Amino acid sequence: MDTRSRSDKEGFWRRVLQATLPLLIWIAHFAFNYGLAAAQCTPGGLRPGGPDRVLLGVVTAVALAACALLAWRRRGALLDREAGLAERVGAVLAVLALVAIGWSGLALSLVGGCA
Amino acid sequence: MKMPPNPAPRPDGELEKLEEVWRTPRGWRFFSAVNNTNIGLLYIGTALLFFVLAGVLALLMRVQLAVPANTFLGADTYNQVFTMHGTVMMFLFAIPVVEAIGVYLLPNMLGARDLPFPRLSAYAYWAYAFGGLAFFCTLFAGLAPDGGWFMYPPLTGMKYSPGLNADFWLLGIGFIEISAIAGAIELIVGILFTRAPGMTLGRMPVYAWAMLVVGLMIVFAFPAVIAGTALLELERAFDWPFFVAERGGDPLLWQHLFWFFGHPEVYIIFLPAAGMVSTMIPTIAGTPLVGRRAIVAALLGVGVFSFGLWAHHMFTAGLGVLEMSFVSAASMAVAVPTAIQVFGWIATLWKGKVRYDAPALFLLGFMFIFVLGGLTGVMVAVIPFDWQVHDTYFIVAHFHYVLIGGMVFPVFAAIYYWLPLVNGNRMSETLARWVFGLMFTGFNVAFFPMHITGLLGMPRRVYTYAPELGWNGLNMVSTVGAFLFAAGVALFAVDVFRTLRRPEREVGNPWNAATLEWLPSEDYGNRSIAHVDSHHPLWDKPELAREVEEGRHYLPHTATGRRETIATSPVAGLPRYLLVLPGDSWLPVLAAFGTAAFFLLLTVKLYPLAWISGAVAVGAVLGWMWGSDSPPPHEAVDVGAGLHLPVGATGRASHSWWATIIMLVVDASIFASFAFAYIHVSMRLQVCPPPGASLPPLMQALASCGLLALGSVLVWLARRGLGKRRLPWLVLAALGCALASLALDLYGWRAGLDPAASAWGAAVAALASYQGLHIILLLVLAPYLALRAWRGRLGPRSRATLDNIALVWHYTTLQGIAAVAVVRSMPLLME
Repeated sequence: MDTRSRSDKEGFWRRVLQATLPLLIWIAHFAFNYGLAAAQCTPGGLRPGGPDRVLLGVVTAVALAACALLAWRRRGALLDREAGLAERVGAVLAVLALVAIGWSGLALSLVGGCA
Repeated sequence: MKMPPNPAPRPDGELEKLEEVWRTPRGWRFFSAVNNTNIGLLYIGTALLFFVLAGVLALLMRVQLAVPANTFLGADTYNQVFTMHGTVMMFLFAIPVVEAIGVYLLPNMLGARDLPFPRLSAYAYWAYAFGGLAFFCTLFAGLAPDGGWFMYPPLTGMKYSPGLNADFWLLGIGFIEISAIAGAIELIVGILFTRAPGMTLGRMPVYAWAMLVVGLMIVFAFPAVIAGTALLELERAFDWPFFVAERGGDPLLWQHLFWFFGHPEVYIIFLPAAGMVSTMIPTIAGTPLVGRRAIVAALLGVGVFSFGLWAHHMFTAGLGVLEMSFVSAASMAVAVPTAIQVFGWIATLWKGKVRYDAPALFLLGFMFIFVLGGLTGVMVAVIPFDWQVHDTYFIVAHFHYVLIGGMVFPVFAAIYYWLPLVNGNRMSETLARWVFGLMFTGFNVAFFPMHITGLLGMPRRVYTYAPELGWNGLNMVSTVGAFLFAAGVALFAVDVFRTLRRPEREVGNPWNAATLEWLPSEDYGNRSIAHVDSHHPLWDKPELAREVEEGRHYLPHTATGRRETIATSPVAGLPRYLLVLPGDSWLPVLAAFGTAAFFLLLTVKLYPLAWISGAVAVGAVLGWMWGSDSPPPHEAVDVGAGLHLPVGATGRASHSWWATIIMLVVDASIFASFAFAYIHVSMRLQVCPPPGASLPPLMQALASCGLLALGSVLVWLARRGLGKRRLPWLVLAALGCALASLALDLYGWRAGLDPAASAWGAAVAALASYQGLHIILLLVLAPYLALRAWRGRLGPRSRATLDNIALVWHYTTLQGIAAVAVVRSMPLLME
């Protein structure tokens, strides 16, 4: 038997990415937003008027759109009993990430400044 | 009826040989056993011992607080008692017990004979046991840590905690972290690569999914606290002022690092319990888990979201409102996947026909308590509410509802459910009702009033209070509840001992469960490794137990005359190769003893003895590695059913390659934490570098990076020269490059870097020290590799040592270059 990695032949990483892409978007969005807000409120990167909410808003809108697109494309997997694990998990996570990023967006629309 | 894969009768003597290979040593040699069943049971037993010990400390606190102005415990003793209670519960009970149950259960649940690195499991257990017991004993010498389980500086800095107490926490926790990470690597590789043939990821039990997520969480969460403890210990030992505000440090840096570990840790504890619940509930309801795939998604969601919650422990620390709002939003978002699981469990109970026996009682208790804890969790995620209740008894109530409800009750349910695996006996149902009644009532009587005490303003961690504050009655009620709860635990312990002392009987499948751990099992696991073709193998194929017992599935014998299991592919569970496992050995025990002694002796400043212990640990590890990468005795073997598998694998197909990669991810995460510390400290400056500090010339740094890169090229050439005489010389030349790089760094830093002068200098020195530590590691590994080459122990089929050391080497090179890039980029960005 071939002892080379079978994980590649099975598309292990492709399936992992397919299932967890919404979470990766959430991570990227959260890390960027938190990092920027923190950096622009510390002496080394202080921005008069507080964090750049326009930039944060654009990033949030892009992240929301990406998750919405993923959720829409995978909507069939939410109802299909025969859907594969990666498809179903990816669909559920797209909805969860959409909710989580939406919640962050709500915070962004209500709060500003560094105080 | 579908035929088993291996229908022919098995030859005589086959089973006896299998038993002989896997036999557990008797008498005092038992402690050299590395089999997951033995190590798992020792691990669970030790973790439960720490639960009892920490519980006794809790009772001491409750006695002290039962009445106002009490003098039962003095302030200093109380500080040590509450710190040790929290530390022992979190680090010596909660995390170890969930890993321990995983070590015990997972191989059988996945159809493997053992986990892929049994000696690593043994090492993880013994390091934890030796270190944990020694750490607990500091209490009897008045040397126990006293800064609270999260050890905030400046309280824990040298100025306010000059004794050894804080050092015991910092270094003591070090080996427990090593143990937890070793366990996590073992579990991840085991779950991905040693499942029974046919057990696809989709068919994998939800408990295994939970443990996979938890293993990955440990890999990313623990490095933050490892880095944090290293920084605080460096500050205490060498006056490197990472957390001293007057010298450019920031106490909040500790809080970031600690809680980046500390909050995911809550889920590291909860998710395994949730996995157990998702395994037990279908059994007690007699129906498949509702929303199984959504629950798997929820486990992943909780695992990832939990990393965005760390700063909700810091809402009163002065963070920006927008940052806090993001964290608040994430704290609320995590409730959604948690709720998916809870609704899945409720729907399963609703759909099935529930048997209200002991596990069911504890599972229902879990749901009631955990949901209440979750609701108060959402309350404290609301920033203004958190400002009111932060560090009050409301928080104490909240996290005990989450942790005892979310973890202790499921673990008790699990013990009732899985204890029959040990000797075939179930615990008493009558006593179980008393135990549950006492624990459930006692818990709510103890902790529910604390919500009110907290809202009335009682701060946590006070050793006493004035009688006129209005907290007297509520505290007395809490104390009564705590003793009721303890009575339940005591009764439970009596029943466990009673059950374990009863004569052994056939285990069978007492709950009519669907998962593989209920197949007939001995020291070798199952007689043959089942072929799995459904989500519920024991429900869908009732004859499976008989077939497996008769050796009609895979590997019904020892194909190489040694311990072995089948390695399968991570997605489809296709057989890939026969994984030969190491046998029992004292070396993991010796290595663990050396590790624990190293940390503890270092704490009490017995340096020569500490270094001797460290050398013993390294020597024992190298000794165990020396024999572990031998050429397999056969090219390929018949594992039954006409399936011929190669023995062992190399490169990316090898389980050891994956374990090394995971270890390097841990390593990179620790480095990232140090880099975060440097960026955090730099961002607080107006001018970077601060006045009086400077970086060495750029050319010098580039030369150092060039030497590292040259070393990597030489190692790459060495890999290509496997079997040739030049290999060891190339490796030693590469070591020369790495040492020259280190020397260049040391020379350069001497010019303008004083780590004690400012936090910025200390942060740069921390990054440089971490890189230096890796070069010292290479100093051990390179001669070891050269020696193996000279002794003829490297070959095309025994090249794991070479491949894995090469990975470490290339990682060190990348880390060195990354360190230079990070350190150099901050002054440029802040210009």
